[in-house]
Amino acid sequence: MFRLPFLFIATGLACFALLDVTTLAQAAGWIVHPPRSPAGWFHVHLLVLGWATMIAMGAVYQLLHVVLQKEVFSRTLGYVNYAVFTVGTAGLLAGFAAVQTRWIAAFAILAWIGIVLFAINIALTLIRAAQWNPITFSTASAVFYLFLTGLIGLAMGLNFAFHWWPTWHERLFYTHIWLGTLGWFGLLITGFSYKMLPMFYLAHGVSNRTAYVVTILWNAAVLAGAAAFLTAAPFPAVGAAVGLFTLAVYSYNLHTTQIRKAHHKKSPGAGVLAAVYSTRALAVTSTIAFAAILFAPARAADERAVVIFAWAYLWGWVALTILGYLSKIVPFLWWTHKYGPRVGKGTIPTMADLLEDRYVAYVLTAVAASLLLLIIGLGLGSDVWIIWSGAALSLFSLAYVCLIARVFTR
Amino acid sequence: MDTAEIRELLKQVYDPELGVNIVDLGLVYEIHNDDGDVCIRMTLTTPGCPMHDTIAGGAERLLQNQPGIRSVKVDVVWDPPWSPDKMSEEAKERLGFR
Repeated sequence: MFRLPFLFIATGLACFALLDVTTLAQAAGWIVHPPRSPAGWFHVHLLVLGWATMIAMGAVYQLLHVVLQKEVFSRTLGYVNYAVFTVGTAGLLAGFAAVQTRWIAAFAILAWIGIVLFAINIALTLIRAAQWNPITFSTASAVFYLFLTGLIGLAMGLNFAFHWWPTWHERLFYTHIWLGTLGWFGLLITGFSYKMLPMFYLAHGVSNRTAYVVTILWNAAVLAGAAAFLTAAPFPAVGAAVGLFTLAVYSYNLHTTQIRKAHHKKSPGAGVLAAVYSTRALAVTSTIAFAAILFAPARAADERAVVIFAWAYLWGWVALTILGYLSKIVPFLWWTHKYGPRVGKGTIPTMADLLEDRYVAYVLTAVAASLLLLIIGLGLGSDVWIIWSGAALSLFSLAYVCLIARVFTR
Repeated sequence: MDTAEIRELLKQVYDPELGVNIVDLGLVYEIHNDDGDVCIRMTLTTPGCPMHDTIAGGAERLLQNQPGIRSVKVDVVWDPPWSPDKMSEEAKERLGFR
């Protein structure tokens, strides 16, 4: 299994580079402006669909057959999934860029069909394998929430074009964001971390019990939040969902600590450390969000606060974790393809030789520092601060993409 | 070629993520050589190890090319499961655990 995950991951990296280049070209202008604008939608969807979801789909195809020790249901369906999802996403992005609502509606349907094909392929793979544990439960839940996110996004796209349900727009909008960010990315990252963290820490004998608790709490938070947004429930209902989410994040941090305590390898690598530290930061973010909802609900619901929490979650945790794990996923993918067949036939490099760990550490530290400055800038409402830190974030992210892409030349 | 020589040869097969050979990692449980028909019973650090095919296949390829070996069979088993105490002192040192 090389070509299918490679296609997804290479396309995802290209989209991330495009996001960084377009952000740099406009001096991070889109970050300064209100997020609910065509430029904001373009960049956010380039980040979450073109980059993060593309990489996540590739990672699922690569890691699921490793976890299950079984082939995915259909590679052919995987290639069709890639083609349809890529064309749909590209058209959707073009629709946002050109502010063409009919394009948005048409390509949202295509992107969603790509998601449905992915969901079918993964669901059938999981059902056939019938190995149920926190990894597979989380993956199954994540894929289900991705399906729902796409469905609701599709409903929004149709609403844009035809104005069928004008009063439901806000409900759909927040449910779409909640399911996509917490449901899809959250459960996929936590689920895969139950496999990846023990593997890279060489941790042994860690019980699954806390992972089950995380899976249950995280799902409860996703469902409670989606129900609250869909029914336009009073704000305390959203607070309850954020409270459940905070508990889930604390439990996930506890499980991460249990894995680290059982380690038999001194360092798991800079990328994995970045994922762990960003998980610690997520506990701080979720605590602040929950406290703000409890003690200053009006300020917590303010657009600026929501944007800050969204940046802290999406960039501070989802993106940093994906970037960190890429430093392991890409060398593994390339090494297995290029050097795997040569094991036992002479001297070959190790994975560490494909990607210098200290460069990963330097660039990810620079990415995290510029993100922190950007979040401070957003908090202060300082355009100059946002522009400079946003540009720095894009520049360092671009450097990271180049660093990862160099693996394919080794 | 006796089993000690085969074990020494298998030190050329590395776990590419850990950078430690499979013998020092304690992954090789048993080696049988029945007049050139070699059977290796080995494990991996975790079930569902991404290196399953690469490591087992690497051990097989390495031995197939050796003089005096007619056939090679590598069985990857999960019982008994691998545990860190099976690692050599060298492996522990290499991983920064000791």
